[in-house]
Amino acid sequence: MGDQPLTPRSRRRRLDSDSKWGLLMVTPYIVHFIVFVLGSLLASLYFSFSHYDILNAPQWAGLANYKKLFHEPVFWKAMWNTIYFTILFVPLQTILALILATALNQKLRGLKFFRLAHFVPVISSWTVILYVSDAIFNPRFGLANSFLIKIGLDPQKWLQDERLVIPLLVMIAVWKGIGYIMVIFLAGLQNVPSDVYEAAEIDGAGVFRKFMHITVPLISGTTFLVLILSTISTFQAFEQIYVMTGGALDASSAGGPNKSSLVLMIYLYQEGFTFLRMGYASAIAWVLFVILFILTALQVTFQKKWVHYE
Amino acid sequence: MKLNRVRKSAGYAVIIVSSLVMILPFLTTLFNSLKTYAQYTAVPPKWFPSPIQWSNYSEVWKLGPFGQYTLNSVIVTVLSVGGALISCSMVAYAFARLRFPFKNTLFMIVLGTMMIPPVVLIIPQFVIFKSLHMLDTLTPLWIIEWLAQPFGIFLMRQAFLMIPKDYEESAKLDGCNPFQIYWKIFLPMCKPTFATLAVFTFMTKWNEILSPAIFLTSKENFTLPIGILSMAGQWSGNEQYMVAAALMSLIPILLVFLFAEKYFVQGTNSSGIK
Repeated sequence: MGDQPLTPRSRRRRLDSDSKWGLLMVTPYIVHFIVFVLGSLLASLYFSFSHYDILNAPQWAGLANYKKLFHEPVFWKAMWNTIYFTILFVPLQTILALILATALNQKLRGLKFFRLAHFVPVISSWTVILYVSDAIFNPRFGLANSFLIKIGLDPQKWLQDERLVIPLLVMIAVWKGIGYIMVIFLAGLQNVPSDVYEAAEIDGAGVFRKFMHITVPLISGTTFLVLILSTISTFQAFEQIYVMTGGALDASSAGGPNKSSLVLMIYLYQEGFTFLRMGYASAIAWVLFVILFILTALQVTFQKKWVHYE
Repeated sequence: MKLNRVRKSAGYAVIIVSSLVMILPFLTTLFNSLKTYAQYTAVPPKWFPSPIQWSNYSEVWKLGPFGQYTLNSVIVTVLSVGGALISCSMVAYAFARLRFPFKNTLFMIVLGTMMIPPVVLIIPQFVIFKSLHMLDTLTPLWIIEWLAQPFGIFLMRQAFLMIPKDYEESAKLDGCNPFQIYWKIFLPMCKPTFATLAVFTFMTKWNEILSPAIFLTSKENFTLPIGILSMAGQWSGNEQYMVAAALMSLIPILLVFLFAEKYFVQGTNSSGIK
């Protein structure tokens, strides 16, 4: 940023040229912000207070959408499903990824292969994952049921089972995403000085104690970030559930048996893009937005309490 | 050091088990894609295909839409990567090196908009593209990448800030304008960051499902992830083709990953930067 001293005249000319070029080069983002962020936010807020079916102009409706929303059992079901999914998914993925990263954070042979193995699910689309999970959990010819029958247990309906669907989707989501979070943790672990571990070893600390008393506190900053980002993205989960519960073939079937895996984003998608109730869908979007805002604010507040800084 | 050996073997055990859990389902899927329909639906399932039916992979191409879906995905991905590289680097250069009115305010906005959940913006986006008569075309899927997304701006700006000032001073004396300095000096110096942004945009766009599901209605315009799913009707009684099609859609991104793993790792880590 610091300019070397110039004569006043040339300085002003430089700035003018800088301003001109700067504003010109930043134009793509200015357009992006005005149209796709600021304009869109305001439009979306206005839609949420209107009846809007895309075909006709929005009709002002005051709080009607929000009132309807809060009295709608399906909305509360979607809310609960979303919370349930997030509460299972975020801690499970974070803890497992941290354990994996700790195991990988030493000079091992074959490190490159291990990292590749954990990254293949990360780079796969949910469509690929659908067929991978179907190979295991297909109720008729999947490996899981054939194994259960072999050891004398009852076969399961897996994704068609109301009780199993969310835990199973969570398990698959953890399996898919863990490599990504693991890499983030590995970067955090590189910053933990090894002499801390050596000192603990001299004091006779075991693997578990070192993990609990050194690793966990020293990378709490990374952990905190992972928790925030995972929570925000999980609350907006859409693609996995859309693909794995058959939404691509029939949008109204997404959300599994008896709406047992209908999450907020699927609900929003169906209301807005299947039934063209754009005003109502915008209200769902804003409720989601407010929840995410509160969650982030809460997590930032808690961060001060438990994140360990060097 | 006995303790170290114990730690190493424990580490190996955890990692090997975990790698098997990652890889075995993919191996099972690969075997499924090489089965005849009878084997694919056999109860109890046979893990290994016999005979191996390689023809599944060529049959997939014989059905018109699959080639079209691949082409659509390529178009969207290539145009998106190009747009992200050009627009993000240009905006980032202005933020890193130029002084202009409202610069700091605008950069705070860039950081702030990173936190806005895309869900609030989806419906207005749909309305915008409808009024531009772009619904059911590939345009909405890539055009937005030409308007500099925050993550890319942030990534490129970090790279540009690292470049010493001396480089541009001499160019200025030669009478280069800022755009020429950006184009001739800064771009060639930040190839690794470009690679990171390129592989990340590639991965996002190649696998994207929400946007195509919203903007596309005609089957012939679908991209691979939703296109493959939409072929279920045509292939009933031959579902093993869909498995082969899905695995084929993974090949390009797998190759990119094998050749550019370093950049995936870098990008992953910078996505975790405040």
